[in-house]
This record gives sequence, structure tokens and C-alpha cells, in this order.
Amino acid sequence: MSGTAHKWMRIAFAGPGAVIVAVVVMAGMSLWLPRGAAGIDNLVLPLVLVPLIWAGLFFHACLDAKLWRVAVVATGLLLVHGGLVAQRFLERKPVVAEARP
Amino acid sequence: MIHLAKNQTKLMIAVHGWSGILLGLLLYAVVITGMAAVFADEIGAWSAGHVETRSAFERPFGTALRALGERTSPKYHDGVDLFEVGDHDLGVFFHRHETDAGGTLISRGMFYELGKDGRVIHTQAGTNEDVYGARNDNALSSFLVDTHVRLHVPNPWGLLLTGILGLGMLVAAISGLLIHRHLFKDIFTLRRKAKPVLLNRDRHSVAGTWSLPFAFILAFTGSFFSFYGTVGMPIVAMAAFGGDMQAMTEEVFGNPGKPDPRPTAIGNIDRITSDAIRRAGTPPTFVTIEHFGRVDAKVTTYHAPPGGDIAPVSLLYNGATARFEQTKPLIGKAPSAGGTLVAIMSPLHFGNFAGLLSKAIWFGLGFAMCYVTFTGLRLWLVRREEAMRSLDWLDRTVTVVGLGLPFALVCAAAAFLIAMPLGTAVTCTTGGFLIASAAVIVAGVVWPTAAGLGHAVQRATGIAMLLLPPLRLLTGGPGWAAAIMAEQPIIVALDIALLVAGGAMIWRGRRLQAPR
Repeated sequence: MSGTAHKWMRIAFAGPGAVIVAVVVMAGMSLWLPRGAAGIDNLVLPLVLVPLIWAGLFFHACLDAKLWRVAVVATGLLLVHGGLVAQRFLERKPVVAEARP
Repeated sequence: MIHLAKNQTKLMIAVHGWSGILLGLLLYAVVITGMAAVFADEIGAWSAGHVETRSAFERPFGTALRALGERTSPKYHDGVDLFEVGDHDLGVFFHRHETDAGGTLISRGMFYELGKDGRVIHTQAGTNEDVYGARNDNALSSFLVDTHVRLHVPNPWGLLLTGILGLGMLVAAISGLLIHRHLFKDIFTLRRKAKPVLLNRDRHSVAGTWSLPFAFILAFTGSFFSFYGTVGMPIVAMAAFGGDMQAMTEEVFGNPGKPDPRPTAIGNIDRITSDAIRRAGTPPTFVTIEHFGRVDAKVTTYHAPPGGDIAPVSLLYNGATARFEQTKPLIGKAPSAGGTLVAIMSPLHFGNFAGLLSKAIWFGLGFAMCYVTFTGLRLWLVRREEAMRSLDWLDRTVTVVGLGLPFALVCAAAAFLIAMPLGTAVTCTTGGFLIASAAVIVAGVVWPTAAGLGHAVQRATGIAMLLLPPLRLLTGGPGWAAAIMAEQPIIVALDIALLVAGGAMIWRGRRLQAPR
């Protein structure tokens, strides 16, 4: 891959890529995070953490010397969390129904 | 200290510079209005001449509330919000929850304003947007807050814009930390006898380094607030509740207990407020009644953080019996890590957890952020001096925004003081801001040099600041003796602050213009 292509790939991961992955991770996190004492930690922690997740992805894309590592981390997070959300939609079973007896 | 490779440092410098250049001017507008908005309550009291110091919740209003409940359609009994309006009058908003055409949750109902004698002095039908929007007597503080929160761009776009600016600030703060080779040395390095460019770089670096943790906190909490309702809640609701926002809101903010729709009269609300004041040590800042007139009615009182704590307090009462039930977390039905984290976001952003002292610190650090943003933009331009001819427009733009914005805000305050007695403050405050902004923009185009324009705008701002206290008195505001007698020294304090700041700006403008 040429230097210019490398540069644009990095920009794509740091720009739109970081936004998309952060949003999908936020959605997916609500499905695997522990619910906590009040039963809301899985709902509010992703909302609090999303700016930090985005910043982490942005700086990782800027600073990691190996572009393949940036791609693996971003794509991995996207696939795992996107898969969780897709599975939830296929099940059509809201989280709240599980929590209430 | 973080050691980066040379090419990574170079990249971080580029990220730091471009994040500032692309978003810096809008960010400056958000930060400077946020800095002023830290004192929104005090500015509201100063500008409108409010001298009442006793909270509306310290007066009995239970009988009036029952009477309002009887005259309001039961369809608006889902919830009642109680809060202070004007000069410690009581606002009562009977409402129900609806989803508007755009899918946003709103409240619709009847709003009443109760005067100090318990009589209704204003009635209005409308939504939460109408009820909590700007009024004649709070138009100035409301204008500042609205500029800070959404730059007057309609929601959700305004919130998304300020959220993106918050992320830009987060990038600038983190990259600013990463590019410091000698962080601790830089905190104390100010070479006063160095060349102006170097001195300005030192000033930017010192102010930026000291305010770095604050910038990080502000950017993080600010972007959280912007994205929370616009993007976060709908997406998490979609993933966890199949898109049912009402279900998610109920899960996160709802009160414990089973529904019981049997009708019954509301309990003794005066007993609830006096008990809440005794338990929390301060009057409530807000009170909500859920299911007004039902057996399962719940009353929640919200209070400022108690001394030595950072998280606000809320108390839950049985609405039908007025019996105290529990100290309730702001978020969730029981204390939890997530609820506490969300609860401290607001005090961390607004700096209102330790009264005027924490507000003053937040104001000072906000000023440092404005200084860092402004000097950062100037440094970026100075480093491209050879290309300055083509960047002259940007140099002028930085001057127009950086120095023109404080001038326009002071003019907005002057317009408010003149218009409030006439009842036209909501439109005139914005009008005053726009006219002053237009004047600075025109001056930015026609003025021979950017430096000369800067000096002139600074002097004009100083003069306008000096004129505000006499203008306040001339338009019917309380004098210093009356304000102190009424135990409202903040009016005097703000007058003095304006006189000192105005004098300092004129003095600084003259010093900068004097031949060396």
C-alpha cells in the first residue's frame, strides 16, 4: 500500500471510523455491561464513556505506528458490538423484560 | 511525561493546531459564554434587580397548589414541576408526557406563576420549551446559557454542534498534553524579556498547562451533556428497549413502587418542603410530583450538594401521605456506580458544588481557557508570518471574534437593562447582541490594521462595562445600600467587578497603543 493510501486509511479510521465505532460500541455495551445495584449501570455508563471511547479510538488511529493494529482494534470492536446489537434485534427481547419478574 | 517519537510529536502538533483553527473560534464563543453562565443565577439577580433572598419553597403554598390542581384538567396531572421563577416567585407546571412529530419526548400542560402572596400572577398553556424558555426578567442569563448550550442553533443540531466542539476541545487538551516535552518545566517557564513571539508562546503554554485538567473535565462533561439526549439515549434505547424511549426514561429516572391509579388528594406539600429543608440543610432547587392526585403520587425534592460533597441530594416522599420514604439517587432507584457518575457530571461542569467559591474558581479557569484558545489561534497565525498576507482575513476574524464577542455580550447586557422595564427584553437582548456584532464585523472589514481594530474594540468594551452599573441604576435597579439591606450583596459585587474590569480594559488598551 502506498504512503498516500496509508495516510488516507489512517484519516478514515481517526475521522468517520472512530465516530461509527464509538456509537456502535456505546449501543453494544448496554447489552454486556453489568446492570449494577440500581439496574441502570449498563444503560448510563455507555452514555458517560462514549466521549472517552471516541478519544481513545481517535488517538490510537493517529499514534499507532502499525496501521493493521488500528484496523484490527476498530474492526474487532465494531464486529463484536454490532453483532451483539444485531442479535438483540433478531431476538426482539427487550432488556427490561429480563430484569422484571 | 509521555515521550513520543519525533514524527508522532509532529503529528500531535498538527492535530493540536488544526483542531484549534477549525473549531477554535466557535469553541471560544462556547467557553466565554459558559464562563459567564457559571454566574447565570447571579447575573439574573443583578440584571433584573431581584432583591428577594427567601426561597419560594420556604413559604407555604400547599393550599394554592390544591386549588390549581382543581382548576387544571386531570389530563395534565401526570406530573407537576415546581421551581422558582422571577424574584423567588413559584412556577407550577402541570403536564403530561408526549412524543412530538420528531420522536422527541416533551411535556405539555398548564403553567402558573404564584406571587409571594400565593396568588396566580401568570397563566400559560404550552410545552416545556415554552415554560422553561426565556422570559422578560431572565432574558440576559437565558441568552448567555442558550449561546453556551447550543449557539442559538435549533435542537438537536445546536447540541450536536456544541458536542462536536467539546470533542474538539478534548482532542486539543490531550494533544496539548502529549506535545509537552517538559511538562513540569513548562508550567513555570515565562520568559518576560524574550521576544514577543516567544513570550506569547510561554503565556499560552503556562495558561494551557495549568488549565489542562480543567479543559479535559469541561470537554468531557460538556460533550456528555450535548450527546446524552440527542444521540446517546435514543441509541441505547434502540439497543436495549427496541427504541422505546419512554421505557428507558422510566427505568433510569423512574421512582420505585407499583402503580395505583386510585384518586386521592395530594398530601401536605408544605410539610414535605419544610422536612426536606431540615434534612438537606438547604431549600430545594426543584420539586417534582409524579401522579398528582393519585394514591401512588411521589414527591421528589432536589437540593444543591451539601457542604463537603460534590453530588446533589434528592429526597423522595409519598405524595398522598407526605411521609418521607428515602434519600434517593438522582439517577436510578438505588445508589449505583453509574448513577453517581452521572450525578457528578453536572457539578463538575457547572462548578456549583461549593457555592460562590467553586463558581469563582470555575469562572477563573474558564477565563484561562478563553485566553489559551485566543492566544493559541494567534500563535498559529504568527508561525505562518510569511503567509500572513493571504491569512490577513483570518487574523482579522480572530480579532473580530476574540475581542468583538465580549463587546457584543456587554452590549446585550446594556440592551437588556434598557428593554426590561419596557417588557421587550427577550427580543432586545438578542437584538443588542446582533447590532454590536454587526458593528464589529463592519469595523473588521474597514479598519486599516487588525492590531488597531483590537485596541479600539478593547477600549469600547471597557467603556461599555463602565457604563453598565450607572445604566442599571438609571433604569430602576436597586442601589448599593438597598441591595445590601436586602442581603443581596451580589448586585454590588457585580457592579464593582464590571467597573474594575472596564477600567482594566481601557488601561490595557492605552498601554498597548502607547509608543514603545
